Amino acid sequence: MRRIMAVLLAAVMLACLAPAALAEEDVTITVVAWDIATTPYYQMYKEAFEAANPGLKVEYIDLAAQDYSQKVGTMLAGGDKSDVLFIKELSDATNWSAQGYIAPLDDYIAADGLDMGAFAGMADCYVDLEGNQVALPYRADYWVLFYNKDLFDAAGVDYPTNDMTWDQYAELAKQMTSGTEGVDKVYGSHYHTWRSDVVNWAVCDGVNTLADGEYGDLAYFYNLALDLEDAGAVMAYPDLKASGLHYRGAFAAGNVAMLPMGYWEMGNLVSDTNSGDMSFNYGFVAVPHKEDVPAGSTFGSPTGASINTASENKDAAWKFLSYIAGEEGAKTLAPTGNRPAFINDAVAEVMALVDGFPTDEASKAALIPTAVYLEWPIGEKVTELKTMTDEEHTLIMTRELTVEEGIAEMNERAAEILAD
Amino acid sequence: MLNATGLGGNANRRYRAGKLEKRNTLIAYTFLAPNFIGFFIFTLIPVAFSIALAFLNWNGGALNTITFAGLENFATLLKRFNFTRNELGVTLKNTAFFTLFTVPLSIACALLLALALNRAVCGAKVFRTIFFFPYIASLVAVCVCWSFMLMKLGPVNQMLELVGISVGKSWTQSREYAIWALIIVSVWRNAGYYMVMYLAGLQGVPAELYEAATVDGANGWHKFWKVTFPMLTPTTFFVSIMMTIYCFKIFDVVQIMTEGGPGRSTKMLVNYIYQLAFIDIKYGQASAVAMALFAIVLIITLAQFRIEKKWVNYM
Amino acid sequence: MTTWAQRRKRAYPGKAIGKAALYAALIGLSCVALLPFLWMLSSSLKLDNEVFQYPMRWTPKTFHWDNYLLIWQRVPLTTYFRNTAIVAVAVTFAQILSSSFAAYAFAKMRFKGRDALFMAYIATIAVPWQVYMVPQFIMMRRMGLYDTLWALIVLQSFSAFGVFLMRQFYLGIPNDLNEAARIDGLSEYGVWARIILPLAAPAIAALVIFTFVNTWNDYMGPLIYLTKDQNKTIQVGLRRFIQQYTSDYHLIMAASLVSLLPVGAVFLFLQRYFIEGIATTGIKG
Repeated sequence: MRRIMAVLLAAVMLACLAPAALAEEDVTITVVAWDIATTPYYQMYKEAFEAANPGLKVEYIDLAAQDYSQKVGTMLAGGDKSDVLFIKELSDATNWSAQGYIAPLDDYIAADGLDMGAFAGMADCYVDLEGNQVALPYRADYWVLFYNKDLFDAAGVDYPTNDMTWDQYAELAKQMTSGTEGVDKVYGSHYHTWRSDVVNWAVCDGVNTLADGEYGDLAYFYNLALDLEDAGAVMAYPDLKASGLHYRGAFAAGNVAMLPMGYWEMGNLVSDTNSGDMSFNYGFVAVPHKEDVPAGSTFGSPTGASINTASENKDAAWKFLSYIAGEEGAKTLAPTGNRPAFINDAVAEVMALVDGFPTDEASKAALIPTAVYLEWPIGEKVTELKTMTDEEHTLIMTRELTVEEGIAEMNERAAEILAD
Repeated sequence: MLNATGLGGNANRRYRAGKLEKRNTLIAYTFLAPNFIGFFIFTLIPVAFSIALAFLNWNGGALNTITFAGLENFATLLKRFNFTRNELGVTLKNTAFFTLFTVPLSIACALLLALALNRAVCGAKVFRTIFFFPYIASLVAVCVCWSFMLMKLGPVNQMLELVGISVGKSWTQSREYAIWALIIVSVWRNAGYYMVMYLAGLQGVPAELYEAATVDGANGWHKFWKVTFPMLTPTTFFVSIMMTIYCFKIFDVVQIMTEGGPGRSTKMLVNYIYQLAFIDIKYGQASAVAMALFAIVLIITLAQFRIEKKWVNYM
Repeated sequence: MTTWAQRRKRAYPGKAIGKAALYAALIGLSCVALLPFLWMLSSSLKLDNEVFQYPMRWTPKTFHWDNYLLIWQRVPLTTYFRNTAIVAVAVTFAQILSSSFAAYAFAKMRFKGRDALFMAYIATIAVPWQVYMVPQFIMMRRMGLYDTLWALIVLQSFSAFGVFLMRQFYLGIPNDLNEAARIDGLSEYGVWARIILPLAAPAIAALVIFTFVNTWNDYMGPLIYLTKDQNKTIQVGLRRFIQQYTSDYHLIMAASLVSLLPVGAVFLFLQRYFIEGIATTGIKG
């Protein structure tokens, strides 16, 4: 009996040792991200990276997009040892860095001589409060104005242009509005319920930020949106909010002429066009601008990745991170219809060649904006201010408060937050 | 007559209690052990740690980064405390309002449903299953349906219009009505849930009591108050405590239906705790708010236990 | 008891109207109760863009029955179901056994520190899980239970809820019964097994339903403790249909409806236990 046990035990031990011995040559980089199974570019990164770096293997941990930050935050608090962490919310980089979860990258960047200028400012949101670069963006979605070409053709109205003021946009939206609800209604434009879709344009002048505690500059955009709502040119916020209607569904329904939205919507439109689900032609232009702001100014939200402080393969992790964020990664990403953070004319050319991409010149020109500002600057109170502005946003948009009252309340609450 | 059938004779109870006193403590512990060991390790220890956190500074980093904060977390939360602007004050007020209406309404509805379906109603089985449905259905589906029903031109507003009440807004998008939308959905889900509890409780009511009451000439109403309700008090006691705790911990319904809005009109204590712990990453403050919640619930529960002896009938 | 109630009813002919009103109310409420299901059903047969269409349409433009096939192909739903079933069954068994055992001590015995201990049980229910989640997670990780189904099983098997529910029910069982049994020479364990447990059938049925439903529908626990796809349970698995920029609500609803079937079956099977007056026969003795 004892002998059998000993043999069995030895067999088990050998079985355990065998794969370990084989794997010794390869270093496996564990990468935590979301929507991996449904987002093609993760697999493309893996294949391209493994081909370029023999001996390094990439293994993904696929988490749900919803509650991603909370899940990863808890994992890290528990001492998780994954190597590369993708960052979904901007605030995560600052928070995780403050907690010591993610490692500063400055030494690696200096050693590799990585050209930070290539990110056109999109890497700045990953600088923590102490000035360390703690993550790199691989993808940067800035905001553009999508439009339904078929509706403009039918109405005999000229398409929106890359140089349009917000007042002209409002005029155009009203002009494109027609019909009766439930029969043949056409909406001139569409705002999603997010604060960023309605008023974040205020940061496009490069002077105002949402963290300065002074929100008077939002009044123009609130009045614009509420005025369009009164004119029936956009769907009413309370209805959208109560019904849960998604902007994708609204635009895909084919009765919305314009949609200011992040560039990520392109991925959906491209795939819908290619699968034949799209019932109309679309195009996009730069978002409108205020008179005193140069045309083509917009704001953007990068998506990046970082290195876990507890990682045991930091050098390998850096190789992967610098690969996806650098030029090679950008070339891998561009053909999927997503916008790499690293962008130049060559990359833009690749992007415009994607099947399902609008073929007009204006759309191609809109790929390279004049200036892209961050949705939120870096700062200690940013998460609190974000929560606060989102809350006040709902009050203004449901008209529980007038624009003036709402902005006054924002200013008062911001003063309290900043004073603490 | 009722007393003679054994309904809560105090002298009797005391006599029995005296005998129980002599039972072996050791045996009691063996009964407790399987549950208590698991409970102690997996719940009590983390809870104790989180209580301690309220007096510490910790942002989730390595454990050696923890520093002692004393009452600092509480001081930060109570800074400029009021019920209109201060975060804790606002969420506390909302949660209290929500609890105040949801608990009694849920209990009343659950009891009514259980009483109606405990009888030989045709199709009782089907009805019981249907009323339990809202509890097992996807919360998203339940919330979406109610949001639609409570929309500006939805069926609820139209019906209210008929009786002369004009709302004129989507409930979830109004500071005045949003909290009522949450109350309605919660009562709706809980009524079916606690109906099950009451149905179980009703099986414990001996038929002789009703027979005796009938001999006494009691009508339906009397029988309810003299027999059914007293016999259900242990269940009601349980339900009211569980409901109070549930209401103070309300989170997911809010997150799906209103996200705490418009503004902060439906932001609840746990939504605030969630924000502190997972968005602002201030575990110490999150624990401090949780302690406030804990203290309130504990006081209410202790009070209920204290007055339990006055109104709860145990055989 | 039911037959007795029926007899009483017939004695009052005027009650017919009341009965009609009762049925009307029950049917009306049932319709509202079923509404979410109709919505789930109709959504599950739509295209993703149609689900949150406004104004809302109850019938899909075309019926996409293939959604019900798609859910099995897009995610490993069978694995999720298996994991959920393992956890739900294990937790329900452990919960019933340990709570009915512990509740006996709280309800029918007297020992030092009983009330304080019981208050500790109740008090922990009052602490929101969000607060002690992180310490608990760190502990579980150290024990090596992270990303295993064991984490969920040990977490949910010892809830204070079950102990409280069973205690309340036991308190409603006359002490004469266990006193008599003790005099007859039964040990405490004998009293529990032969007298109390059979009488508590309605409460046990209720607790089984609650535990099973709550475990089956739990989202936060599996979200935090399970990471690998082969370990995920149904509620977390369903979230794979919600992506960052798109949500396949039609597939979520189809999968949710499928996932309700076991829960519905458990409820239907058990509800007779808290209806047919099993307890009353015992209490007469």
